[in-house]
Amino acid sequence: MNDLKINKKFNENIVTWHTIDKKPAHAVPMPEGIHRLLRQSLHTRGIEQLYTHQNSAFEKVMEGKSVVAVTPTASGKTLCYNLPVIQSILTNPSARALYMFPTKALAQDQKSEINELIEASGAEINSYTYDGDTPANIRQRVRQAGHVVITNPDMLHSAILPHHTKWVSLFENLKFVVIDELHTYRGVFGSHVANVIRRLKRICHYYGSNPVFICTSATIANPLELAETLTEEKMVLIDNNGAPSGTKHFLFYNPPIINKPLNIRRSATLEVRNLAGELLRNKIQTIVFARSRVRVEIILTYLQELVKNQLGAKSIMGYRGGYLPTERRKIEKGLRSGDIYGVVSTNALELGVDIGQLQVCIMTGYPGTISSAWQQAGRAGRRHGEALVIMVASSSPLDQYIIQNPDYFFNKSPETARINPDNLIILIDHMKCAAYELPFKEGEQFGNVGTEELLEYLTEERVLYRNGDKWYWMNDSFPAHNISLRSASQENVIIVDQSDVANVKVIGEMDRFSSMTLLHDEAIYLHQGVQFQVEKLDWEEKKAFVREVDVDYYTDANLAVQLKVLEVDKLQSRDGAEIGYGDVSVRAMATIFKKIKFESHENIGSGPIHLPEEELHTSAAWISLNKSFAEMGHERLEQGLIGAAHALNHISPLFVMADPQDIHVIPQVKADHNEKPTIFFYDRYPGGIGLSEKIHSGMAEVLFETLKMINHCQCHSGCPSCIGTDTASETAKNDAINIIESFLQPSLTDMEV
Amino acid sequence: MSLKNKLNRLKPHLTGGSQTESGSNKPELPFIDVPYREKWEQEQVKPFFLEQDYCLIREVKYPLSQQHGRYCFQDFLTAIDLWNQHPISHPLAAEGHRAEDLFFFDTETTGLGGGVGNTIFLLGYASVSGEHLILRQHILPHPGAEVPLYQSFLEKVNYRTLVTYNGKSFDWPQVKTRHTLVRENVPKLPEFGHFDLFHAARRLWKHKLERMKLSIVEKEVLGVERVDDIPGFLAPMIYFDFIERKQPEGMLGIIKHNEIDILSLVTLYTHLTFQLYGIDQKQTRPESFEVGRWFSSLGEKNEATKILTNLTTDGDITSYKAKLILAYQYKKERNWIQARDLFLSVADSGDRQMMIEANLELAKIYEHRLKDYELAINYCQNAISLLTKETNLTKIKKFFSEELLHTRIKRLKQKSAKLLFKE
Repeated sequence: MNDLKINKKFNENIVTWHTIDKKPAHAVPMPEGIHRLLRQSLHTRGIEQLYTHQNSAFEKVMEGKSVVAVTPTASGKTLCYNLPVIQSILTNPSARALYMFPTKALAQDQKSEINELIEASGAEINSYTYDGDTPANIRQRVRQAGHVVITNPDMLHSAILPHHTKWVSLFENLKFVVIDELHTYRGVFGSHVANVIRRLKRICHYYGSNPVFICTSATIANPLELAETLTEEKMVLIDNNGAPSGTKHFLFYNPPIINKPLNIRRSATLEVRNLAGELLRNKIQTIVFARSRVRVEIILTYLQELVKNQLGAKSIMGYRGGYLPTERRKIEKGLRSGDIYGVVSTNALELGVDIGQLQVCIMTGYPGTISSAWQQAGRAGRRHGEALVIMVASSSPLDQYIIQNPDYFFNKSPETARINPDNLIILIDHMKCAAYELPFKEGEQFGNVGTEELLEYLTEERVLYRNGDKWYWMNDSFPAHNISLRSASQENVIIVDQSDVANVKVIGEMDRFSSMTLLHDEAIYLHQGVQFQVEKLDWEEKKAFVREVDVDYYTDANLAVQLKVLEVDKLQSRDGAEIGYGDVSVRAMATIFKKIKFESHENIGSGPIHLPEEELHTSAAWISLNKSFAEMGHERLEQGLIGAAHALNHISPLFVMADPQDIHVIPQVKADHNEKPTIFFYDRYPGGIGLSEKIHSGMAEVLFETLKMINHCQCHSGCPSCIGTDTASETAKNDAINIIESFLQPSLTDMEV
Repeated sequence: MSLKNKLNRLKPHLTGGSQTESGSNKPELPFIDVPYREKWEQEQVKPFFLEQDYCLIREVKYPLSQQHGRYCFQDFLTAIDLWNQHPISHPLAAEGHRAEDLFFFDTETTGLGGGVGNTIFLLGYASVSGEHLILRQHILPHPGAEVPLYQSFLEKVNYRTLVTYNGKSFDWPQVKTRHTLVRENVPKLPEFGHFDLFHAARRLWKHKLERMKLSIVEKEVLGVERVDDIPGFLAPMIYFDFIERKQPEGMLGIIKHNEIDILSLVTLYTHLTFQLYGIDQKQTRPESFEVGRWFSSLGEKNEATKILTNLTTDGDITSYKAKLILAYQYKKERNWIQARDLFLSVADSGDRQMMIEANLELAKIYEHRLKDYELAINYCQNAISLLTKETNLTKIKKFFSEELLHTRIKRLKQKSAKLLFKE
């Protein structure tokens, strides 16, 4: 720590040094009612008292109330659910609990955790994981004798609910449903899971059970609202965290400017390489987060190269979705045992996978949301001792906005997690699954949704058949198999490595939309730091054939987008502008890719991408100018709009807790539907998941913050940190400011609809 | 905008299960009307009423003299007699059963694979009663009529053992699944014994049939000829059409298909029994061998020895295969000399894969039992030289590799040296 304070070169770039003091524990004596065996088990693990939040959770759940507990990393959240669950099974051995974790890795982790507690108590309680890895010969035992069944939403969706008759003893006696990492159930995934829960509750109702829901969540602005929307249950919020924490130093690091006129900073990736390299050379366990898979691989390549002689390349590993499960398990183990010093990860390691304590966390760029940043920061120094968190800003407008407004980051409440369980596409998919599981009755509600019209639609589609007052599944398919909870497009692209002709193997997979820009022909795909070139993307067969290569560049693809308004649902006109919300059709096409050199990041070539256009029907919010800006001229207006859209695209995800790729912003000089200069914000998922709706209702705030960000930028006429570099003209920055100001013209209060 | 309009626009994003051409179904009227009742009755199909609903039941009687494929149903009684008069221990053994106790069962469903939503719309079964084979098929006239379907079915079933084709992993679990949904309203499912002939067919005819579908076994083994048969995979489509239009024609095709499946089960069980008892005149040597091997793997040494020893006389490949199985059997009994003699014979068989196996086994016996290390080394070297000539290694690799053989030789040489030293 002192080394860092002294190091001048490093210090010059620190914009903010924020120290979070250590926090003492708040604990209460073990509740009276706790079962003897459970008390004894806790005792053997050295637990004599409960933190305040654990105690509250226990009390409320035992009263039969559903709860959502908000807990930071390493605060002993598992006891919030394990205590009431084990207590209840000890007093009533027929009671059952279903635990749901977003990933298999977490489920494995939690199984060991709860089993330790059970073993120490000596009680006869069976807890099992039930996922794709569960061997066929023990599945029957899990179904019939598992007191605690630990699974994930995908398994619940495609293996448990469609076979509920094999799980009668679980569903008849289901007392608890535990939903851990609640905050991960947002956006498309969350909207799907909300419907899976509707199906689960429907099955429970059929078998006569009415479980209590216990949710735990990282810090977000609306845990209660999210839990209640996801489960459609009344919830009690538990946020009196009593766990202690060690001192944490949170540093904002802004790379030096290397090109004054263009306001271009040194690349965050390169800075992270130097910082992490220095730490790793001193054998300080460090976790590096990067925002995309490509970044992870680039940084990994750098770091492995840097320390290969000193520590061996295998002491630094990558970790992200797209690796095969066994590979991931190996990395988690290496981190816990200390064989691995460094790990470079996407947000996959934000979740509670147990990797032990790391001393330093470095973020390559702002992770996109406040809540995600705190989760990542929580990876460093879990309970005791000092820890260091360094956020290295990139040149993106959002990063620069955050780094220039530390108060925003440290004081503002984190983002809101949005889901839209009633998205028609998602809803109708799960209605099919639900009808497969049990016939619908006339007048039946699916969650909070009336079903009549939907059932009629499905009947017309010949998926359901109405007989008397019931609708029956009448189709030869197994609907859950065609519906993926994780991805907008239904089919993933499989990545096939054919470097060794005699030993062709699958090394990963990727969703269809991402693959348009990451796995096109000639793309450089990185996997565990190894470069592969895509030899052929077979779009029909959903396969990308890759071969290992060794080149000094990576590729970056462009996506061209066209948008048309289909239907206007809401519209407010003001003097200066009008804002609307409705259904749109978006057509996207990958056009060209650029080859970018590793160290200098210069463009060294490009090529076309030949992939079919993808069409998307979704919802969008838009704002149109009533003013013609005739004096500005077409060219300048266009440049100004592009600049404004670029800035808005970076700021708007802040307000909706979305991954930046979930919401897109595009400008049109003359929109098709109203012939006015317009900027659109659209949801990246068919049918929309509520992001653009949220933007629509908070348009003024988004515009205002964006304006502030552009005004604060030190550049002269636009830079990557504000309006982007797609605009070449001198006037673009001013024009963008002008345009946003005229959007804001009518009084702000009027605009907040 | 109406939901339906929205849905129609979002259609390209919606997942499958859709068909063109729309039709609407009016809710059924409360009185019981059986559409096309006369037409059904011409086909021996009668309604079974229960409260406000019904299902359809078809009943057909066949005289026992009726031929189906290579056998008539009377031969099935002969098979049952065989089991009772000359009992042998076997998974298909009907010892202690009367012919009436067996219950040949097959279903038709609206989809493939397990899962709650895969509806059984036809439960068919046949059993012997007096001088007849009686075939009954319970038909679901519309979704939702499962209470009469299972009620009528469970009233009739009073048997000890199910005979199915792949019913252990498909038909019966699916019956359990669907039964669970109506279990409040119908009798419990009885416990049955279960003969699944699919596994038996695989044991016996894997050597000559690529696929083990019942229709193929029927044609290739049982001599059953189907005329104008509707392939099983069309059953869901035909059923969906039937519940829309109610006309029996399509369904009659499925009913016929199901009927032949069930009758073939009777023939198949008869034929399998005759194979196991070795009384089928046309039984081939490979079939005999498979029967012997099956008994051997069941640990039925006497049966296996009897059948396999009979096969060893000819000098064909089957005779060596039989010797190999017998040799392993003797080895298991620790009868080293007889085992060795048989392995020795197989080692000269001319079939390279079996020769490699036999040489290795001989090496093992000489190393561990007969303690002749020089001979053991010889057999190892034989195995290695055979192995180097073998091109199709995939099948062999699982059991031995050259590397392991060399390790064995090394060890044998050490042992042999030690022995010399001692002497």
